[in-house]
Amino acid sequence: MSSGEEQDRGVRVWVYDRTMATGRPPTVHELAQHLDLPAAAVADSLERLASGRALVLQRESREVLMAGPFSAVPTPFAVHANDRLYYGNCIWDALGIPAMLRADARIDGSCGCCGESMRLALTAGELGAVDGVVHFALPARRWWDDIVYN
Amino acid sequence: MLLFRSEEHIDRWCKSWNVPRGATLSPRQTWKLAYAWYSPDRRDPQWRRRTVDETEELLASLGLTGPFWNLR
Repeated sequence: MSSGEEQDRGVRVWVYDRTMATGRPPTVHELAQHLDLPAAAVADSLERLASGRALVLQRESREVLMAGPFSAVPTPFAVHANDRLYYGNCIWDALGIPAMLRADARIDGSCGCCGESMRLALTAGELGAVDGVVHFALPARRWWDDIVYN
Repeated sequence: MLLFRSEEHIDRWCKSWNVPRGATLSPRQTWKLAYAWYSPDRRDPQWRRRTVDETEELLASLGLTGPFWNLR
């Protein structure tokens, strides 16, 4: 493995470690401090990880936006688990958070049409009774055309 | 991917955003998909993205087959 690949792996692992532990991804500055790397090297790793679709970056700052299933910014998919608040990128990702954390969770969502509150509960790996339907607007081959929209 | 109260609310949303209707899953089906997709620990240094073949296999194992779920 090249040193670049090893560095990218270290960045990815710590992005997930921190996100799962705290609810938000680390910044470039925090990654650089923890990994004892120049910020420019961390930024290069993030760009490579984004090119490989392992992460999604914010368009201007190039900080992490999505470390799937987690969102770095508040969304309408709030997930309460392990006494922390996480945000999913969509309802699929919101359900992915308790899957990744292997934790019980409460998802405070809402109807995409009318905004009516919709709550989902995961307990011991089982989804509690809930009405509703999940809509996938784009076919699978187009999910990455615009992952932020999707 | 959005959650809706009912099929009727999906129709209203598609109409107001002028987008074609896609595919629907129940919350329980979506949980199964989320669990299969996201349960591998991404803190594991050996983690890697699934290949297209592996992803199609995962979707098919959940009954998600047909043109909408094809990746190519």
